Amino acid sequence: MDMTLNAFTLSLLTGLQLGSIYVLIALGLTLIFGTLGVVNFAHGALYLIAIYLAVSINNTLGFGLALILVPPLLFVIGVAMERGLIQRFYDRPHTDQILVTFGLAIVLQELLKWIFGANNIPFAIPSWGNGIVMLHDYLPFLEGFVVYPKWRMILVVVAIVTVSAVFALLHLTRFGLVIRAGMRDAEMLQFLGVNINRRFMVVFGLGAMIAGIAGVFGGPVTQVSPEVGMQLLVPSFLIVVIGGMGSLGGAVLAGILIGMAQSFTAPYIYLNTIIIYLITVIILLVRPRGLLGAKGVFE
Amino acid sequence: MSVTATTAPSFFSCRELNAFYGESYVVQGVSFDIPEGDIVALLGRNGAGKSSTLRTIARANQPALSSGEIWLNGQALHNMKPFEAARSGIQLVCEDRRIIPGVTVEENLILAQIAQPLGWTLEKIYSHFPKLEERRKQEASTLSGGEQQMLALARALARDVKLLLLDEPYEGLAPVIVQEIERMLQEVKKMGITTIIVEQNAVAALKLADHAIIIDTGVIVFTGTAQEVLDNQTLREEYLAI
Ligand SMILES: Nc1ncnc2c1ncn2[C@@H]1O[C@H](COP(=O)(O)OP(=O)(O)O)[C@@H](O)[C@H]1O
Ligand SMILES: [Mg+2]
Repeated sequence: MDMTLNAFTLSLLTGLQLGSIYVLIALGLTLIFGTLGVVNFAHGALYLIAIYLAVSINNTLGFGLALILVPPLLFVIGVAMERGLIQRFYDRPHTDQILVTFGLAIVLQELLKWIFGANNIPFAIPSWGNGIVMLHDYLPFLEGFVVYPKWRMILVVVAIVTVSAVFALLHLTRFGLVIRAGMRDAEMLQFLGVNINRRFMVVFGLGAMIAGIAGVFGGPVTQVSPEVGMQLLVPSFLIVVIGGMGSLGGAVLAGILIGMAQSFTAPYIYLNTIIIYLITVIILLVRPRGLLGAKGVFE
Repeated sequence: MSVTATTAPSFFSCRELNAFYGESYVVQGVSFDIPEGDIVALLGRNGAGKSSTLRTIARANQPALSSGEIWLNGQALHNMKPFEAARSGIQLVCEDRRIIPGVTVEENLILAQIAQPLGWTLEKIYSHFPKLEERRKQEASTLSGGEQQMLALARALARDVKLLLLDEPYEGLAPVIVQEIERMLQEVKKMGITTIIVEQNAVAALKLADHAIIIDTGVIVFTGTAQEVLDNQTLREEYLAI
């Protein structure tokens, strides 16, 4: 492989940027699976709702309001989704859960298509995020004119901040302790007086809220069209599996891995289309529980 | 459904409990009362329905309570969720101890103190269970069986417990450890906590208990004093194999 340092750096950044969106979607997906035991195939649709809300607010009221409004709105939508529909399927087989969340995803996707049309809606990036970054200014070892879109850099930073915040919430707060414990033995927490289902509902809302954050910053990158939800859902779901169902660290690791793999195989079109499945198969053969899957978590 | 006790309710009282695991009818019309501060040994063969009865009282989702009333200290528990029953004073120490893995010993205790009302403080727990204090920063699932049982008991005491349900506290423990747990349960008894103890080791449970109930295929077949069971050889042979 003949690759210059410049090309390598660009692929690395693209991998990080791809991984950032995957991680933000997969984080919510794995949180919801780890707590409620539900594979939420409607999670891609939450991202879809987020980008349409974000683009609508951004293009009329400005980016600032989109940033302030969309994540909390997604929190509310997530909680409503959990209470209104998904909650009724906790005691049903996984196949029923998959059917209902998948069905919901399609309904939401068609609804958004009906409202906004099938075409991509241009997402105007705010002026402070527009333009390019001269990489040479930051990485002096790079030679010549190497640039990367500023907005994509911002997306990576947002993902890092969001992931850190979620880890801090889970590992440094009492709420996080209860959630982590609830992931291991929800019934025992109830026997200790904890209304764990209410907290899990909050987690569902948080997962949706992260999809909201992803939508606000990812919309301009992934584009705003009805297929985007499903396009992201498949890799995100595989990332959850590769990382280990319910493992947040695993989702982050796997998200970056898949992002990098897709970025670095971009010149080889055949390999690029199958690389994610190839990695999934190899990792699951070597580690059936995924990279960081814990023993006894939903087995 | 009207839920009024027909006679002056005892401190704890359950009436005509019927509970199912799916189609399987595991608690069949169980009724008994416990005066405040007394200890009941709930005995019977493997699979008789002892754990199911305790889980029903703790208002676990499974087995599902289909009918019957549960009263504790004047409160009706039969329509409660498990966390509400726990807040009303039920503490179930499960048969496999159910120590939360992936968090520390101390965090297991903290998890018992998320919801009011609380029982013993951590300091008080550590003064009674110095081993737990030594290991407070240790991952809880790395404790030995005996230490896990202590932690499970301590976790119950960390709550304001009015009815303690002990499911096989001696199970799988070496004799010296059993003695240690026994001493702790004697202390619990002195504290006057109303308790139901389920144990394969019937003699050990009867030593501790005031009353005995024997259950077989989900039905109560004997109610009396602990001494009566110790004295009645046919009963012991038929239902307890001792
Ligand atoms: N989770 C379960 N699902 C279905 N049946 C169960 C379950 N747990 C126990 N049982 C059945 O319920 C009956 C009573 O079991 P259990 O209450 O555990 O007995 P014991 O504690 O007296 O040994 C047994 O026939 C057992 O097979
Ligand atoms: Mg049992």
